[in-house]
Amino acid sequence: MKRQFFDRLIDALLPLFAILLAFAIGALFLLWQGVNPLEAYKAMIVGAFGNKNGLADTLVKAVPLMLVALGIAIAFRGGMINIGAEGQIIVGALFTSWVGLQLGGGLPGWFIIIIGLISGAFMGGIWGLIPGFLKAKLGVNEILSTIMMNQIAIQIGFFLLRGPMIDPAEVAAGTNIPQSARLERIADMPRFTDMAKWFGFTESAKNLGLEGFTKEIYGLFVDPTRFHSGFIFAVVMAVLVYILLWRTTIGYRIRAVGLNRHAARYAGMNVKQTMVMSMTLSGAFAGLAGAVEILGLHHRMFEPVAVSAGYGFAGIVAALFGKLHPLGIIPSSILFGGLLVGGDKMQRAMQIPQVLIVAILGLVVLFVVSTDYLVKKRQNRRVSVTDGDDDLAIVEKMKESLKEAGADEEVDA
Amino acid sequence: MKKVLLMLALILMLALVACGGDEPAVEEVVEEPVVAEPTDAPEEVEVEPTEAAVEDVEAEADVEGLDSIRIAIVMPSTINDLAWSQALYDSLLRLQEKAGGEDAIELAYSENMFNVTDAAAAIRDYAADGYNVVIAHGTQYGTSLFEIAPDFPETTFAYGTSTNTGADEGIENIFAYEARAEEGGYVNGVLAAGLSESGIIGVVGPVEAGDAKLYIDGFVAGAMAANPNIQVNVSYTGSFGDTALAAEAANTHIAAGADVLTGSAQQVVGAISVAEEQGVVWMGTQSDQSSLAPETVVASQLYDWDGILSGILQKNQAGEYGNSAYALTLANNGLVMDFADSLDADAIAAAEEAAAAIAAGDIDVMAAIAGEVMETDDEAMMEYPEIAPVRVALVMPSTTTDLAWSQSMYDSLVVLQEYYGEDNFEIVFSENMFNVTDAAAAIRDYAADGYNIIIAHGAQYGSSLFEIAPDFPETSFAWGTTTNVGEAEGVTNVFAYDPRLEQGGYVSGVLAASLTESGIIGLVGPVDAGDAKLHVDGFVAGVRDTNPDVQVNVSFTGSFGDTALAAEAASTHIAAGADVLTGSAQQVVGAVGVAENAGVPWMGVQSDQTSLAPDTVVATVLYDWVPTLLGIITSNQAGEYGGLVYQLTLENGGQKMVYADSLPAEAVEAAQAAEAGIIDGSIEIVAEPRN
Amino acid sequence: MSENLTMAAIILGILHSGIRLATPYLFASIGETISQRAGVLNLGVEGIMLMGAFFGFYATMQTDNPWIGLLAALIVGAMMGLLMAIASITFQAQQGISGIGLFMFGAGVSSLLFKTMVGNVVSVNGFSELTFCVSDMLCLSEIPVLGDIFFSHSIVTYAAFALVPFAAWMLNETTWGLNVRSVGQNPEAVDSLGVSVTAVRYAAVMVGSALAGIAGASLSISLLGLFQENMTNGMGFIAVALVYFGSWKPRGVLLGALLFSTINALQLWVQVLDLNIPSDVAVMLPYLLTIIALALPFRRSMQPAALTKPFKRGEN
Repeated sequence: MKRQFFDRLIDALLPLFAILLAFAIGALFLLWQGVNPLEAYKAMIVGAFGNKNGLADTLVKAVPLMLVALGIAIAFRGGMINIGAEGQIIVGALFTSWVGLQLGGGLPGWFIIIIGLISGAFMGGIWGLIPGFLKAKLGVNEILSTIMMNQIAIQIGFFLLRGPMIDPAEVAAGTNIPQSARLERIADMPRFTDMAKWFGFTESAKNLGLEGFTKEIYGLFVDPTRFHSGFIFAVVMAVLVYILLWRTTIGYRIRAVGLNRHAARYAGMNVKQTMVMSMTLSGAFAGLAGAVEILGLHHRMFEPVAVSAGYGFAGIVAALFGKLHPLGIIPSSILFGGLLVGGDKMQRAMQIPQVLIVAILGLVVLFVVSTDYLVKKRQNRRVSVTDGDDDLAIVEKMKESLKEAGADEEVDA
Repeated sequence: MKKVLLMLALILMLALVACGGDEPAVEEVVEEPVVAEPTDAPEEVEVEPTEAAVEDVEAEADVEGLDSIRIAIVMPSTINDLAWSQALYDSLLRLQEKAGGEDAIELAYSENMFNVTDAAAAIRDYAADGYNVVIAHGTQYGTSLFEIAPDFPETTFAYGTSTNTGADEGIENIFAYEARAEEGGYVNGVLAAGLSESGIIGVVGPVEAGDAKLYIDGFVAGAMAANPNIQVNVSYTGSFGDTALAAEAANTHIAAGADVLTGSAQQVVGAISVAEEQGVVWMGTQSDQSSLAPETVVASQLYDWDGILSGILQKNQAGEYGNSAYALTLANNGLVMDFADSLDADAIAAAEEAAAAIAAGDIDVMAAIAGEVMETDDEAMMEYPEIAPVRVALVMPSTTTDLAWSQSMYDSLVVLQEYYGEDNFEIVFSENMFNVTDAAAAIRDYAADGYNIIIAHGAQYGSSLFEIAPDFPETSFAWGTTTNVGEAEGVTNVFAYDPRLEQGGYVSGVLAASLTESGIIGLVGPVDAGDAKLHVDGFVAGVRDTNPDVQVNVSFTGSFGDTALAAEAASTHIAAGADVLTGSAQQVVGAVGVAENAGVPWMGVQSDQTSLAPDTVVATVLYDWVPTLLGIITSNQAGEYGGLVYQLTLENGGQKMVYADSLPAEAVEAAQAAEAGIIDGSIEIVAEPRN
Repeated sequence: MSENLTMAAIILGILHSGIRLATPYLFASIGETISQRAGVLNLGVEGIMLMGAFFGFYATMQTDNPWIGLLAALIVGAMMGLLMAIASITFQAQQGISGIGLFMFGAGVSSLLFKTMVGNVVSVNGFSELTFCVSDMLCLSEIPVLGDIFFSHSIVTYAAFALVPFAAWMLNETTWGLNVRSVGQNPEAVDSLGVSVTAVRYAAVMVGSALAGIAGASLSISLLGLFQENMTNGMGFIAVALVYFGSWKPRGVLLGALLFSTINALQLWVQVLDLNIPSDVAVMLPYLLTIIALALPFRRSMQPAALTKPFKRGEN
């Protein structure tokens, strides 16, 4: 037992060492730029986790990352690679804001929000369904189609935002910025500070005598920050995806197809249908991310790439950091969001080129995924590996693993 | 799963540990002496220190009565850098010798203190060790000095380049000194103009700031004054110690035809050896560099710190520990011109005449420099109001070098900073903020950090701005392109700006219509929206109103950064017969290259793209944000934090037309007539509907 | 639209542009083909291209010799490939994600170096377009139609096209090619024959990445003659997509690259000719048509069986 704990601890620490190694190399870059790396990294960590605004920024960023990563995880579990989250976010956000603008007129806010979320998921789902369908029926590789569909989504966004969806005020002012009008305020997903007010938490941290980090945590939930209820929504979604994948037939089928297409077919599953379904679900979650960004944060649609903002790719990283496990994705999104936010803060604090941070984060990603191998190798040493070449055996194994659903098993995508 | 949680917990723990301290101490780490810009207005030639009267320094060092005095110097480079640090150290050695050796004056020094934190530690240690005079030989040490000096009231501290003795903060024991390097620069410039046969002079600068900038500005002004046709090529290596690059710069200058070179900072040793090899002459500054190449270094401006130092020492012994500012000038012999005998007598005579005139106050070097500026950028025509120190943060969607939207704003900020000085005008920026969530975080952080004015340079940042602005009621926010200052949202501290690019576009259109022979003009747009759309609208209207038969082919690449596609679009336009091209956004660098190869003129917008292809970019609609920025700053300082919309128009100078000399006069006249027509309202720009 | 442009002139323009624009895609996609044939999905092409573009540009700027620039891009590309190989082959990292890491690293470093070492966008004298002059009077580029389409490109463009048969020959006719294909199809079998799967994959990834580096340089020192941060603007990802279009065959990749870039040239002409199609829709065309083109004929893609699967000796 104790032995196992230390093994697990070392496994858990390996990615941390990888991050430290990446930072050490990054430190050379920082030194080259004439910046004290220790101060820079301190600024990074404090910036991401050290105070209420940093925490708020990190968690706000974790929301789209989490939702996208959940979608990526579903696709990966189903044996598909979804590089199209960028486009799915865009169409989701577009449709959410369009629907949001059409509704209104006395409808209650919560209703608009729910319809908005559904709309985003719906449109994102369609954007995932198409490559899924193309792959299943016509053999068009999903990497190709999703990359192409990202560009198509961007252009559709520009088309709509310059024409049908443009804010009438932009036309009136003659500035013609490609953005929609603002959604009605009642359709804003509530921020934590709003919710605190509803529940009567208005006391300032000072009056409560809170100090240090406790004060910052208190401020995160009570003071006006951008931290919004989309975070709760995303966490709930993560739990739902966990249930979906490990407690339902659909989830079982998705994972079975992902593990071994031939075996799944042999077991009588409709593989093509399942592939389409996992891509659709994957797209729906990315679309949901777009919807939450609009309803919780931006409240209007603007330049498509500014909304998707690289979450489609960062989400892949968050998904893999979370071992493609819905519950692992929650902390990994927060961690990766924190890295991104902290990197930005470090850039501002030290006034170093922002691209330096991008380079360091690239190393972090490279090194962390490289530790997977070491973790697995250590696990292999502990657990004897059963041979699984036989298709039937795999199916049997999957059925077994389903029985102990919830077990934290590793799956090679 | 557990692993990840554990990992997160560890990270959080780390974070907590890190939070144990205060906010991260952001120490400025400057590699080398980046010396503060002079805060004087360019017209004023008199050295007007902001804090204390400049002492008149006797040239002859008075070492009378100096006894057992202990001096410590903290310097950014080394005592044999042949430049900034060595000049001071040599002076101290001379004083020591004069005063009677080590018994009279004890010297200690710390070299290579480019880390200001280390330097501060050194300064404090020396003071604590009982040194009487501690010299921190770099502007960057000022802040630390002001913290340390009050703890040692009977120790004399001195630093420069600066004129701020800290008297405002009640500090009594700091001397400030500066070198008016532009004076000797001017003299060297006059001499160089007299010596050059090719008419081309090369300057190898380190970083365009402080002492080096003063010297080079003076040098250029002097050369121009002596011979208006002379060409002075100035290059900066971007560092003080990059010898290899300085050598390379010298090579480049020589390849470009220069036969006289100059430069500053310790890096120039590389350049001097190149000059020696290639047989061109070199003019030095700061320290005597003739030891390196006696035949090559034909003229030097030497910093003679003897007078200043002995003044400081005498005062220290008399119990006066600070509160004065000194300047090295030609008049007080703190700057000494040294010419080689081998030089042409006429050239020396002209140089010496200039030196005498400067010393006597007959030549106003600062005004001469300002004159140069006026000729090139005509920015000096702007009325620069007096402003209190201001801190400006800029959040932009692309980069400061995009040759388009973001760069235009950044360049204008730098113009203001150069005018007001870094101490009075602080700029920070975040680039590549295409992620609006990140931009919002940046905006909030800058506001929380106390920046006075935060510019969110993109229409996509608006919704975030309106959320953040109310939390910082005394911070001004500005964004654009828009006319929305957030009245509807009850926000009071947001400015909006709105470049009416259809105006500049119209003028370019008129020009283009007069230039085209084929009757076809190509336009490479990014996305048909925002100011790119205005540009197209105006351009097409301008062409149509000038010559309805000329056809404008418009294409959009669908993104702002697709350089390759923009290049291909330009090729397509040329293949379709276009003989004039224009376009907007950072992508167009590709198109400009194509235009250059095809010999087709290009009309730029937003930022100055001539650096890419000087002969190809024949006209530019330049965004000049200076008037807008000054409007925002003065409003802010008058307690009005927002609510105004600034339009950039031709009339208010927010847009400026720049025409190449190579353009036919009639075409330029037509364009200028259009400018006048737009300004007086006689031309109304009517856009044609497009898809 | 004016009459002075005949249909022939337009088609000519499209073909000329299409060929030129295909250059970077060809290098990058062929490189990616080799890498994927060996079983490694390298999503970092974009980052490698940016590094190649910068180093090609910088070396050319310093030496005034674009060949040295090309060499620099090749070496840097191979080094980036080495990084990818260490992560993905030795450490068996998830290939999709390590590629994204490599992309970020390349994009960041290239911009950082540009900012620090160059600063402003400037142009260099790279490879210029050839004229194929036999004598002063006779230049192949002067031949009507054919000359414009085929004989007025830079040497880099010709190299890109020459690479296609060469890569096909390498993959299909040489032992090395056989090894590459085999480690992508059935690494266990190759391993049992005593060939090092790891070594073959390392070589394939590095060769592929070197080509991606050249792809970047073809932009910075051949097509454009300048470097700008992030100048590839997603080309690297398109290049990956084109590999799937070409079903892992150089020939197919050529078809895909030509199709994509020719439609891109076409859409520019559509806009120039003012055919009343919104610009966004025109820009969408190449992406849309590439998908449709692949979807139309019912074709089964033959993905290398071991693509993205790390090789673990004796573990399966």
